[in-house]
Amino acid sequence: MASRTSTSAESSRLVARRTRADTAVVTGHSRAVLALIPVALLLVIGAGALMSASSVIALHENGDRMYLFNRHLMFIGIGVFALLITARVPYRLYERWAIPIFLLSLVALVTTLAIGKSIDGATRWVTIGGVSLQLSEFSKFATIVMLAAIFSRENKRFLRFRGVFIPVAFVFGSSGVLLLAQPDFGTVLIVAGAGFAVLIASKAPLRWVGAMMALGGVAGAFLAQSAPYRMQRILSFRDPLADPLGNGLQAVQSLVALGTGGLFGVGLGASRARWRFLPNAHNDFIFAIIGEEMGLVGSLAVVSLFLLFSLVGVQLALRIDDMFGRLLAIGLVAWISTQALVNIGGVAAILPISGVPLPFVSAGGSAMIANLAAVGVLINLSRTQRTES
Amino acid sequence: MADPQWRVPDVRVALVGVAIVFAWLWVGVSLYRVQVVESGQWAEYGAEQRVRSREIPAPRGTIYDRSGQAIAMSVAATDVIANPSEISDPAGVAQVLAPLLAMDVQDLETKLTGNAQYAMLTRRLDRVDALEIEKLMDDLDIRGVYFRDQPARVYPSEDFASQVVGFVQADTLEGLEGLERLYDAELAGTPGYQTDERDPYGNPILQGDSEIIPAVPGVDIRTTLDPGIQIAAQEALALAVEESSATAGWAVVLDVATGDVLAMATAPTFNLNDRTNVDRETFRNRVVTDQFEPGSTLKVLTIAAAIEEGIVTPDTEFTLPATLEIARKKYSDVGRKDERVMSVRDIVAKSSNVGTITVQQLLGNEKHWEYLNRIGLGRRTTSHIPGEVSGLLHPVKDWCDSVCGPSTGIGYRVNVTLLQMAAVFATVANDGVWIEPHVIDEEIFPDGTRTTFQPIERPVFSEETARTMRELLAGVVEGGTGRRAAVEGYRVGGKTGTTQKYLEAEGGYSDTAVVASFIGIAPIDNPRIVVAVVLDSPTGERIEGDRAVSLSYGGVSAAPVFAAIVKAAMHGLGVPPE
Repeated sequence: MASRTSTSAESSRLVARRTRADTAVVTGHSRAVLALIPVALLLVIGAGALMSASSVIALHENGDRMYLFNRHLMFIGIGVFALLITARVPYRLYERWAIPIFLLSLVALVTTLAIGKSIDGATRWVTIGGVSLQLSEFSKFATIVMLAAIFSRENKRFLRFRGVFIPVAFVFGSSGVLLLAQPDFGTVLIVAGAGFAVLIASKAPLRWVGAMMALGGVAGAFLAQSAPYRMQRILSFRDPLADPLGNGLQAVQSLVALGTGGLFGVGLGASRARWRFLPNAHNDFIFAIIGEEMGLVGSLAVVSLFLLFSLVGVQLALRIDDMFGRLLAIGLVAWISTQALVNIGGVAAILPISGVPLPFVSAGGSAMIANLAAVGVLINLSRTQRTES
Repeated sequence: MADPQWRVPDVRVALVGVAIVFAWLWVGVSLYRVQVVESGQWAEYGAEQRVRSREIPAPRGTIYDRSGQAIAMSVAATDVIANPSEISDPAGVAQVLAPLLAMDVQDLETKLTGNAQYAMLTRRLDRVDALEIEKLMDDLDIRGVYFRDQPARVYPSEDFASQVVGFVQADTLEGLEGLERLYDAELAGTPGYQTDERDPYGNPILQGDSEIIPAVPGVDIRTTLDPGIQIAAQEALALAVEESSATAGWAVVLDVATGDVLAMATAPTFNLNDRTNVDRETFRNRVVTDQFEPGSTLKVLTIAAAIEEGIVTPDTEFTLPATLEIARKKYSDVGRKDERVMSVRDIVAKSSNVGTITVQQLLGNEKHWEYLNRIGLGRRTTSHIPGEVSGLLHPVKDWCDSVCGPSTGIGYRVNVTLLQMAAVFATVANDGVWIEPHVIDEEIFPDGTRTTFQPIERPVFSEETARTMRELLAGVVEGGTGRRAAVEGYRVGGKTGTTQKYLEAEGGYSDTAVVASFIGIAPIDNPRIVVAVVLDSPTGERIEGDRAVSLSYGGVSAAPVFAAIVKAAMHGLGVPPE
């Protein structure tokens, strides 16, 4: 078994040919397709909503109402290309290169802080060769890979608290501090969500996992206390109408869009929020435009697609016998899921607004490419089979 | 590969899945709350922030004279407004704009400076000028200057019947005086609204809903005023006021057959388009707002009532003492110091106090009051003339037995407006039928329908009594106190009046100030108009031939005004001279 999966290219082709008759592998492939369906639908819904949401702002800022839409299509194209590549990269390579990958991600974050450009007070973008990149997308993947690599090893040290505490504190601490320095509160949340999903799914004792989560909460509370002003801004989502033209502006306009949509929406292309009432309507707040134009029916459809994607992903993880593969899969699923939750939660004003794009839907090249690449990794993972079969 | 011992338990992977499911359920419920439960309030909030409603001003109705010429009209104009917060170079903009707006550069710069959102620069600029300035602002790329169309009120004839027409507040167009005030609601019309959707920067949302509720124009009003007669009345009055140094003078001309007010003038008058430095007193339409004791002119009613009741005829003679004493009050006649036999005709012609009181006592207070009441004294007309007062006619039960009847008989103890007195004479002219005087002929509605004013009519005395009275009044002009009222080519009749002015502030009669009046009918044989003239406190003298006559007498100061107006009116109405 072990020899079959870790040999030369020739033998893996042999394996592939032989396993095609194997039912477990067939279900693995169909599962990959199953995961692609919600992704494809989200891409379609997203592109449609973006065409509407971006037209006004693109007309004003670029003089062409299709400008942002065309860019979006281009990024989808690049993302699909990335997906096709990562689907063919054997995921075990990530385990082997976990430490260099993680260190590279830290370098990327430091680079961002050093030479990145600031937009609205956040330093998140690095321009390389005329292309703006959000390198934190890579750090999400790297953190998941790192944690999955650590906690997939057979190691009795995890039975003691410091055996869990030290690696987690190192991984979260290093990338978390660098992300908060940007500041990118949203990505910290996503990394935490994905990381803890890896921990929960690992064999590390649950009590230590729970203790780590509690520590994370304490650290968050400490940060909040140290910057009460920022905290007040972050917590303004709980009562956006208290400051509808300041801190609460985006939340109020987002709720107006969702509420205006009602049950069935105002109709495709009929959004009013996009007429510059709702800032970032085409990227961070595109879900509000979907809710406005297609109503609760449309917004629940999007929610259902993310839920479907997550469940397919979790089931995929369950089918992977290899521990790193399983943790990597659950981490990637938790990443996409957490990011979608953080985004939609912000739009629906049940979570703070943190400026993260909605996977597969929002405008934004870095996230689109990273998310589709992550799906590619999941497809690659789905090609493995359970040892028992 | 991995040791089976280290294979992750499925239940912990499933735990992640369960957490994700619950998280999404929470999101779903939240979306239901926002999009269904709270949908209405958010949608309303959204509508409020993007739906803008702009008032479309309704064109204010036009006020016409009887010939259809506009006395008051609305014209297109433009307010120029600035948003100083958008103006980066107030000094430069002020340099360009000040001469165009006829403003001081320094003042304008002050207005344009600062962070305010709104500063009114000029109201009611001519629309064409405004368009040129707007184009210039565009060409020079000057931002922050805005133009808002607002109709302006214009009075083309400037001082034509100023006190009747009244005026509006220049900015709001709210009627402040005169017909503009009384008919404000009708003239104003109903503003329309243009509702559309706007983005946060105030630009129209191209796909937004829009609705226009058009403005309903105001009602046009056609007055009964005759332009020629009105102007003649104003000019004659102005001359008389100047000659006699009267504090004011006022006159009214009635069409006897219809009750139409052909002219209603008060001097001094003022320019309706420029009321700066005009004394507020000048705004009063004294023909209806100022009450006075009419004096001799009201003797006409005393005599007419007695004739109607069959108590006297024009030829009934009385032996009149030089002085008549009633309850220690002495009545005498001007220019008569001895006992004399006088006919009713003479009494009227010479305006004899003693004679009229003698007739009044034969008539009795009850009957006398009945006629005074019936002919409309002590009551406002329903004639829709702004500011009209009722005058004062005491109920007969309040009349004392001694001097009340006699005093009332010669026109004291009763307060009248000139309009009420003109209507008394019009009743004589109109064969005894009183017609409610009025300045409104018809209201013309935006849909073209019209409502014509229907005056109340009330017979007071017979045609024959009326004719008899007209003869007596002709005598006043032909051989009595009213000679200066004569008009060449036309036989006219009328009555002079001169009363000591009652000073409210002092609670008694002035020793010097008088109210001089003349009210008459022309032509007396086939009456067309009544002209009533009052001068308040005329003084001085006029040299006639080799003697000086006091202008304090109505027959001297007011009667020529009557003559001048009648002359113009006869020409204007096309009445041929005899």
